[in-house]
Formats: sequence, structure tokens, C-alpha cells
Amino acid sequence: MIKNIAVLLAVAGLLMIFLPVISGFQERDNLNELAADYVDGSINDLGTPNVVTSVIVTYRGLDTLGEVTVLFLATVGVGLLLKGNREDMIKISPLELLETTSSVLVALIMVLGIYIFTHGHLTPGGGFQGGVVIASGFLLLMLSKVNAKISHSIMNFVESFSGVAYVGIGIAGIVLTIGFLNPGILPLGQFGDLFSAGAIPVIYSLIGLKVGSELTSILVTMRGE
Amino acid sequence: MVSPIYILILSLAVGFLLSILDKGGRKLSLTAFYGVLTFNVAVIADWLYRLVFLHVPALVINTAGFNAPISINLELGITEAFVLLLANLTALLAAVYLLKKFKEGRVSSLILYLVLIMGVNGLVMTQDLFNMFVFLEILSISTFALTTITKTSKTLSAGFKYMIAGGVASTFFLLGVVFVYYFTGSLNLGFLQAGQFTNTGLIALFMLSVAVFIELKPFPANGWALDVYQSVDSGIVSVIAVVNSAAIGFVFYKIMPLLPQNFLTVFGIAGVVTFFFSNMMGLKQENAKRLLGYSSIGQMGLLLAILVFTANVPANIRYLIIGGLFLNHLISKAGLFWLAGIVKQDKIKNWGVLRNNKPLLVLFGLFIFALSGLPPFAGFWAKWEFVKVLVDAKMFFVLTSVLVGSLFELIFLFRWFTSVVKDTDTASEPLVSPGKSKAAPVIVFGLLAVITSFGIIRFFYQFHWIQVLPVLAVLVITLIDFLPSKLKGFLSLATVAGYASYLYPLLESNIQLFFGVIFIIGSAVNLISTLNRKNQSKGFYGFLLMMIFSFGNLLIASTYLEFFLSWEFMTISSFLLILRGQKAQRASLMYMIFSTAGAYLIMVGFSFAPALTSASALIQSIAEVNLPLISIIVLAIGFMIKSGSLGVHIWLPEAHAEAESDVSSFISAILLKAGVFGLLMVAISYVSHAPSFDVFYWIGWIGVLTALVGAFMASFQEDAKRLLAYSSMSQVGYVVAALALITHLGWVTAMYLAFNHMMFKSALFIAIAGIYYRTHTRTMYKMGGLISKMPWTYMTVLMAIIAVSGVPPLSGFGGKWLTYTAFITKGWYLQAGVLFFASGVSFLYLYRLIHTIFLGQLKYEHQNIKEAPVWFIIPQYIFLGGIMAISMFPNLIIKPLNSIAMRYFDSSIQIDGLTIISDLGYWNGNMVMYVTMGLFAVPFILLMLVKGKTQKVKQFNIVYAAERPESPQTTHIAHNMYAHYRKALGRLTLPRIQNFWNGVAEWAHTSGGFFRRVYTGNGQTYVLHIIMYIVVIYVVMGVQ
Amino acid sequence: MISMYTLILGIALLVIGFYAMLTRKNLIKIVIGFSIADTGTHIIIVSLGYLRGKTAPIIDGAVNAVNAVQEVVDPIPSALVLTAIVIGLAVTAVMLSFIVEMYKKNKSLSIDDYQELKW
Repeated sequence: MIKNIAVLLAVAGLLMIFLPVISGFQERDNLNELAADYVDGSINDLGTPNVVTSVIVTYRGLDTLGEVTVLFLATVGVGLLLKGNREDMIKISPLELLETTSSVLVALIMVLGIYIFTHGHLTPGGGFQGGVVIASGFLLLMLSKVNAKISHSIMNFVESFSGVAYVGIGIAGIVLTIGFLNPGILPLGQFGDLFSAGAIPVIYSLIGLKVGSELTSILVTMRGE
Repeated sequence: MVSPIYILILSLAVGFLLSILDKGGRKLSLTAFYGVLTFNVAVIADWLYRLVFLHVPALVINTAGFNAPISINLELGITEAFVLLLANLTALLAAVYLLKKFKEGRVSSLILYLVLIMGVNGLVMTQDLFNMFVFLEILSISTFALTTITKTSKTLSAGFKYMIAGGVASTFFLLGVVFVYYFTGSLNLGFLQAGQFTNTGLIALFMLSVAVFIELKPFPANGWALDVYQSVDSGIVSVIAVVNSAAIGFVFYKIMPLLPQNFLTVFGIAGVVTFFFSNMMGLKQENAKRLLGYSSIGQMGLLLAILVFTANVPANIRYLIIGGLFLNHLISKAGLFWLAGIVKQDKIKNWGVLRNNKPLLVLFGLFIFALSGLPPFAGFWAKWEFVKVLVDAKMFFVLTSVLVGSLFELIFLFRWFTSVVKDTDTASEPLVSPGKSKAAPVIVFGLLAVITSFGIIRFFYQFHWIQVLPVLAVLVITLIDFLPSKLKGFLSLATVAGYASYLYPLLESNIQLFFGVIFIIGSAVNLISTLNRKNQSKGFYGFLLMMIFSFGNLLIASTYLEFFLSWEFMTISSFLLILRGQKAQRASLMYMIFSTAGAYLIMVGFSFAPALTSASALIQSIAEVNLPLISIIVLAIGFMIKSGSLGVHIWLPEAHAEAESDVSSFISAILLKAGVFGLLMVAISYVSHAPSFDVFYWIGWIGVLTALVGAFMASFQEDAKRLLAYSSMSQVGYVVAALALITHLGWVTAMYLAFNHMMFKSALFIAIAGIYYRTHTRTMYKMGGLISKMPWTYMTVLMAIIAVSGVPPLSGFGGKWLTYTAFITKGWYLQAGVLFFASGVSFLYLYRLIHTIFLGQLKYEHQNIKEAPVWFIIPQYIFLGGIMAISMFPNLIIKPLNSIAMRYFDSSIQIDGLTIISDLGYWNGNMVMYVTMGLFAVPFILLMLVKGKTQKVKQFNIVYAAERPESPQTTHIAHNMYAHYRKALGRLTLPRIQNFWNGVAEWAHTSGGFFRRVYTGNGQTYVLHIIMYIVVIYVVMGVQ
Repeated sequence: MISMYTLILGIALLVIGFYAMLTRKNLIKIVIGFSIADTGTHIIIVSLGYLRGKTAPIIDGAVNAVNAVQEVVDPIPSALVLTAIVIGLAVTAVMLSFIVEMYKKNKSLSIDDYQELKW
């Protein structure tokens, strides 16, 4: 009883904190200086049509490196917690429909994923989105083919390789004295082309691979090997 | 010169690769792992060196080839480098400590650990708010996962609670960050200013700061953290408690400049509240690691409060306070957590196993002392300066909470320490010797604690080496502790002589010289009795010398801090000496608690005092200082605790009784005088700058009542040492009362009594030491008739009690004469009456002492005992000689005392040859002696003549006739000797003061027990606490 | 105005999520509550980045590269939310793994059964 009242009070208190946020909220009309610089810089300095991508991969590249790290940590952590749980392996027998369609779909999904992360600088999307799509392909595979073995060591290798390569590109920036994670190590190319925007698509592809492999190995671990 | 960005890069790269490296063998992955951790330390150490000694400007690292605020930048200034150096060093050592786990466990834990440390480095260096969020999450997730390095139901549930709580906090942090962006258009700390936040904008700051604050575990929204501290593996917990907390605390430090003052004040007070309550709840704690958890949380609360409340303090002092406390916490907490992993005992009372491993025991003590804020460790200096800051800012609520909280902390830490050293109720399984990898980090941190302490003393305060001589003495004696006891005793004696000759030219005045005689010469003579010690007496002489040197240093201390430092050294050393007593666990704890309370009062009193104007010794220069009333009061109480005044005396009988016999005499005869010395110092300032309120009138009353009550209590004791203890209390009561007269004669009296007491009480305690050495009992009714076996000792006791009682011809008579004259001249007639009555009462216990021990029938089991060893007899007779000398020639002492007191008052006595003349009459000690001897000679000769007619009563003649053989003491005259007086006094004899302090202790424990019930163990309740806490803080701050 | 509605939606989700965390006994439901609150946060972030009548910050047919600055919404919150989402996902994954292990040890999913550490 007391606890219920306390919970209600807590919720009321939260609302109290957030109400002035709502009442004081005004939709903005113009970009602030920083954001305007980003839009401008993305087009002129980085040659990247997708401004969000240039923010993620370049301007706030350190965040993204951290973000990849967080996901990596989750993979490792989940692995540490759940590894070696054979007995818990989920035993379901997939519907025939799922089994049949998945064999067609999985490949398509993978291709879509790759498309998304390689075109991250041009279109909405990018490494994370692409990686998740790829992982969803593997999820479908696991659901439809219960006994499908997904090699941990390959996942591991892809994960490590893409991670180290990502860091390596970052260091290349330092070596060329243009700054850690600066995409200028590759030529900018023609605005709007697939091979343009310096190292951005490369980085984003590596992130895509890394995210895909990491999420997949989380799924594999959670399924029980 | 490697850029610290490589710390991030290398950690990540190796982290990503580690699982592949591991395929080539664990050796490979471990090498890479430790390599990176070492690399981190080296890089930061290099930068700290550059920043501090080469004065390079703070390093700014831009990423992505753009300047901030376009891109995220990192910054490494001195503060960042300092925090990171300690954090990385701790991380490296914790990793060494965890070596076995890392060797045998999964490679995953290596990766998590490495990336965790990277997160810490990033979090401290980054200047971007959202980037902070990312690093915070890196740190959190890796910590969550690492909590399960040992996977048990407990660690899992603790980890889960931690995650839920962390999840809520980080949600608020994230919201705070984006709202900051929404309101200001920037995320970079370098481009944000407090002025940009108004009205709704403040909510952004609120969410941001409260989230960080929750991560720092404020009471009561911190139950999750305690569970983690209790259950998770020691190595990991040390990282969570120290490294993570440091990094998150640093985040708070970084966002502080943005916060409005009312936010800061609330956070500061919340920090103080956390400190206070954590320590109070710690009182009830029996689980070692949970106790450390409470202490850690408390320390972080204190650190936050300090961050807030020292904002306007000069930078060097501020850094000393923050840095000192942080360093102290880091070293001792990590050290203790590691020890917890080595000891492997949950329950505190089972930690006695540490006694089997002396080096670890020493390290344990070192960490406990450091954590308690005792010198020479960093926390001491920090606390001293912080108290000063609080007093200057008139923040008395904070001051009181901090000091009471610290006292709570000291209580549980020292209860733990005394239990480890003394408790016989230990665990059955012995201590498994820790491997090198587990012991090494503990040792390194122990050394670090010592080195940093000396660093502060040498470079910050630039003290003369004499100030740390007490500690050096311990270190040196420890090195030669393998020598036989007697040799060390003689060496110590020689050292004291050397010290005395060093000290002598430094003494500027007679008053110092006078106390120098009490402190140093008195100690040296007392030291002779310790020569009787057999075997090695490990650790004894080190602490004894420490105590003697700190007595001496009190005399020459020229600043408040030097005085307080020596005072604390004196407390520490005497505590450790008392603790050596067989059953001294409780007694020493009580002594420590009261001493520390006294020390805090003294610290506060000095903080109130105006700055000194001259560089001479404090006892001299204090005369120029106008101490404010509050300062006089707290200083007086502080010093009176040490001198065992009524009300705060209850430590005294315990400590005297339970200490080893040869230690008791030091405590009673000399240590109590240190309290008198302090009180005299206050009085000297008072003489020239008397405030409107007559403090010393009341102090005088306390002294008088102490004298009376002490005498009564002494009369009711069965234990010879307790009797002497209460007698000391009573006698020092006289001294305090006489001092409080604030007249020339009063001071002469006080010093005369003090000197006299030093001599006869030393003689008595050493006499009792000899008796105890032979009979193995302190209970007086178990003795009797020892006059025939120990005639030399008997003689001492006889002379000494004559000197105490104030009958002619010995020095006590002069003391009494001076006392009454002084009181009557002042017009304190009632007080004089009470003292007179108290003198009467003292006959009761003196008679009891000599009668029950030496007269009457010899006990059967004492048939064959011998006189006390010669090492006991020598000092007794030196003191007797002293008593005789000043009895025969009182001018030997009265003249110097007269001149001392004349510095402050006009003389009220004249000395004419051997006669001392006051307004009321005269006293010629020499004459008194001859007259008394004459009077004594007559009956003595008569008795000798009739000797032939005496008849000896055989032992079995009457005693058994009246005794019940099964419990003979009940009918023995010496048992419950003054029962009738006790009855007559009725309710007055109830141990009210004892009961009062017991009640206080009970109350503190019960409150602790009550408050800790908020920690129900339910993760959901903890989330509720957090949200409620956020709401309450929101309301209190009045954000809207 | 649209961002005002999404802001309210986000805050509502946030509070609902917290409410679930405070009232549900089942560990998994608590984590679901956390996820809801997290999602609420993400919606709030996106709402704050919206500019009246502007479009996504991608230079394609809809946006002219020359005066892009006048035509697009704030790209920064979009970038931040991506990071936040990934981090939320990671935390949730670890939380769920904890629950799996806790269930394995104690065969209970009720948070009330995990109170052995207290005081």
C-alpha cells in the first residue's frame, strides 16, 4: 500500500519534472550555428550527401567508435554470461513455409544489408542499419534452420578484423597528420558517387560488418550453441 | 612523448584483437593485456611529469581533423593527468591482483577489463557531453559484465540491480545531454557557459547533474551499489569503488562550472548527508566488504561535498584537500578490498586470521589508519585544511556532520582493527598465504601511502624533519626489531637522551623546559622499567619512542598544525601501546574514540584561532593570540578529554587498567600531562585576552568535581591499577582546578601538582607493575602481606602515598598548602572546601592500596615470591629521590615555577631563604621535614624499645576462622572495602556517566540499524529510491 | 507542432516505462519497461531536432545542395539518437543475459526473490 503510494508519488514527481519541458517547448525554425556548419561542411568538405552520416562517421567519429565498442562489449559480456549453455538450446521445429521462404529471403536480406551500409553516405542508412539487417538475416536463418551452424570463429574474425581496421583507418589519419578518424585519407571523389566521400563509406562498411557479426554472435550465444 | 589518444586506440585495437590473440595461447593475450595497461600508466605519468615539471600547457587533442566544437576533443591538464595516473595505476595493480582469474577464466574478462579502463580514460579526458555519455556506457556495460567474473546467485542479482539503477541514471544523463544541446546548440564543455541556462534550460542541467550524482551513490539511493560491493570479486570491486568512482566523480567536477549555486549547495549537502549516514550505518555492519562499501560511499559523498564547498578556496589548498582525500581513499580502499580478497572472510570478527601474516597485518593497519584520517597519511592534511575552510566559511552544519561522520567511520574502522589484532574468536581455517600477484599490489599501495605522505610533508608543508621524527622512529625500530628486547631498550634510552640534548637548545622558555622535564626526563626514567621485558617485544619500542618524541615535539611546535600533528602522533602511538595489553581490545578502542573526538575539537578550536604572528613555539606565541570564546571552549574540552576530566573520563580507567603494566605508568604520569599542557596553552591566551564569559570558572568546577569523583571512584576499586587510574583522574582534577584559577599562585600550584603527580604516580604504577609481574594479579584482595616479600616496593608505595595524601613531610604537603592558599586567595571557598573533602576521600583509597597489598596476611600462593626485578626498582627509587629532593628543598621547584608564572602574572609569593611566604602564611619545606622526622623519631624509638613484647600472629591462626574457604574474598576485609560508604552515597554512585555514553553509543547503533533498513535488497525498491531521490532533489533545488 | 506531439509521446513513454519498472515484478517485464523508457528517450531526442517544415538532412532530389542549410532539420540529434539506440540495445542484451542466468540459478523470474543481499 505504502509502496503503491510511493510509486504514484514518484510518477507524479516525474511528470512534474517534465511538464515544464513540454510547456516551455518551442519548435525551432532554424539550424543553430553548429548544425549549419555540419550541413555546410558535409557538402563542401566531406562530399557526403547524407549529413547525418558525416556527423556520425567523421565529426562525431569518436562517439561512433565508442558506440561500436559498446556493442562489442555487449557481445563479449553476453558471451561471458551465457557461453556454454548447450542444454538450453531452443528446440523449435520451423513451419515449412518459413523454411522454404527463408532460403530465398536470407540471401536477399544479406544483399540489402550490404547495400545499406555501403550506401550510408548517400542514402538514409549506414553501418548500423545495414549491420542490423544482416543480423536479422542470420536470425531468420536460425529460426528456419534450427541446426544451422554459424561459425563463432568466423564471426569472431570478422568482428576483430573490422574493428582493428576501423581503428587502423583512424590511426592512418594521425599518421597523415590530418587527425584521428579523418576520412580525408582517401580522395573525396565525385559528390554523390558510391566511391566518394573519402573513407566514410569504407568506415561505414567496416562498421556494418562489425555490427552484423556482433549482433549475430549475440544471437548465436543467446540461442545456445 | 606519446599522445594519450593512443591509450584509447591501443586499448581498443588490442581489445578487438584479444580473442584472436588468445587462440595463440593465454600467455600471448595476457602479455598484450598487461602491456596495454602498463602503457597507459607510462603515457599518463610522462604527461603528468611534463605538465607539472616542464610546465607544458594542457594538451588538447582534436579528433577527425576539426577543432572543437565541430569535432569532439579531449583534454589532458594537470588534474586530468593526476586522476588518470592514479586510476590507471590502480587498474594495473588490480589487474595484477586478478592475475589468477585472468589466467584461468575466459578471455572475455580480459577484453572487458581493458575496455573498461579505456572508458575511464576517455571519460576523464573528453570535453564533449554526449561523448561522456558514450564513455559512461562503455564503463557501465563492461562493469556490469565484469561483476559476474565469479558467477553466483549473489553476484548476478547484485549485478542486475546495478544495471537497472545504472539504466535509470543513464537515461536521465542522456536526456540532460540532449536538452543541453536543445537549449544551447552545443555539446562541448569548452563552449558552454552557466549563463546560457535559464528557466527551462535549468531542467537540462538538472537532469544531467542529478544523473551523475546518482551514479556517485548518494544516500539513500545507493542500495544497489552496496550489494555490488558486498558480493562481487574483490579485485573488480576495487576497480568499481576506486577507478570508476574517480572517473564519474571527475565528470561531476567537469560539469560543476555550469551549475548554478543552489544546485551546488544541494549537491554538497547531499554529499555530506551521504557521508554522515553511510558511516552511521556502517556502525552496524558485520560483513567486511559491505562495510568497505559503506565507507566508500561515504568517502565519495565527502569528496563531492568538498568539491562543492571548496570552490572559493585558493587553488593549492583546494588541490591538497581534494587530491589528498581522493588519494587517501583510493589507496586505502583498494588496499582493503584486496586484503578482503586475500583474507576471504566475510565476517569482520573472523579477520583475526591476519595475525598469522605480520606484513599483511601491518598493511591492514596502515590502510585503516590512513582511512581514518590519521597522520602522516594524506587524509589527515586534507581533513585539517577542510575543517579550516568550513570554519572560515562558517558552515557549521556541514562541519559538524563531517566530523561526527568521520568519528563514526573511525569507530567502525578501529573496532575492526582492534578486533583483528586482539579478538580470540577467530575463524577456524587459517589464512591461505597469498601468491605474489595478490600480495604485490597491496604492498605497492602501502608504500605509495607512505611515500605520498612524506611527499606532502616535505614539499607542501616543508616541515622540518623533526616533525616526522616520531614516524621515523617507528620505521627505524621496525628495521632492527629482530634484536633482543633489552638491547632495544638501552638503544631507546640512548636515543631519548640524544633527543633530549637536541631538544634542549630549542626550548625558549622555562615553561617548555618544565614540561620538557616531565615529558622527556619522566619518560626516560619510566623507560628503565621496560628493560625488564623478556624476549623481543616486537613493535613496542618503536611506538614508545614515537610517543616520547611526540611529547617533545609538542613543546617546540610553532604552528597550530605542527602542534596538532604531534598531538595526533601521540594519540596513535599511545593507542597502539595500550592495545598491546592482553585484554585491551575494548579499552584501547574507547581510548581511540575519545581521543579522536578530542582531536576533532582541538582541530576545530585551532581553525577558529587567528593566525599566529611570531615564529616561536606555540606555547609562547599563543600569548599574543586573541582566541575567540568558541575556540577556547572547544580547545578546552578537547584537552580535558585527554586529561580525563569528569564527564569524558570513562576511557581513562579502562585504558590504564588494561594496558601493559609498564605502559600504564607512561599514560598516567605523562600522557595526562599533555592534556594539562594543552589546557595551559589555552589559559595563557586567556590571561591576556579574557573574553566576557568566564570559561575558566566552569573549568575550575569541572576540575574540582573530577578530583572528588575520581577519589570516590578510586576508593571503590578492587583492581589496583584501576584504583591508581581513578586516583590519577582525581589528581589531574586538582591540577585542572588550580590552573583554572588563572592566578599566579594557582599556576604555580598546578605545575607543582603536575610535577609531583608525575613522580609519585610513576613510582606507584611501576611498583604495581612489579607486583603484578610477581603475583599475576591486579585484584588487591587476592594479595596481602607482601611487605615481607617485597620490602623495597613497599617502601616506594609508602613514600608515594604519603606524597599523594599531602601529609607532612613529603611534597604532597606543599601541594596541599599551595592549593588551599591559592583557592582561598582567589575567593573560591566552596571549591576549596570540596577539594579539602576530596583529599579526605583520597586517604580511603591510599589506605586501601597499601593495606590490602602489603599488610595483613600473606596469601598461600605468594609464599615463595621474590622482590620485584631490579629494573622496576631503579626507576621507583629515582622518582622517590626526586620526591625527597623537592620535599626537602621545595625551592628547587618553586623558584622556577614562580618565574614561569611571573611571565603572566605578578608574583604573589615571596621566597625568603627556604621559606615561601604567601598572603595567608608561610611554608618552609625544609623545616617541616625536620619537625616531622623529629616527631616520627620519638614514637619509632619507643616502639623499638618495646619490640620484644610484640607477638606475631600466625597465618592460620585467625584468617580461616572467619573466611569461607570456597570464596574467601567475601569475608576478606579488603573485598568491597568501603561498602558502607557506597551504601551511604546511595544513588550517587550509579555509573551515570558510563550509562550516558553507553546510551549515546546505543543510540548511534540503533539509528544506523534503523536507517539501513531502507536497503531492502529489492532491486525495484532501489529504482523507486532513485526516482524519488531525483524528484526530491528537484523540489529542494527549486529548479522551476 | 508535430514535434510537440512527439515530444509528449516520448515523455509519456518514458514515464510509462518507469512506471512499469516500478510496478512489474517479472524481471523481463522490468527490462521491457526499461526499453519503453529508452524508446521514449529516443523519441524525445528526435523531437528536439525537428525544425518547422524542414526535411531530412540528405542532399538528394528533395534538397538543394546550395541552400541546404535552410531546408533540413538538425542532423545532430539524429546522429545522437543512433548512438543512443545502439547503446540501449547493448544494455538490454546484457540485462536479458543476466536474467537468463539468474533464472537458471534460482528458477524464479520475480524480482522479490532476489533480496538476499540487504542492509
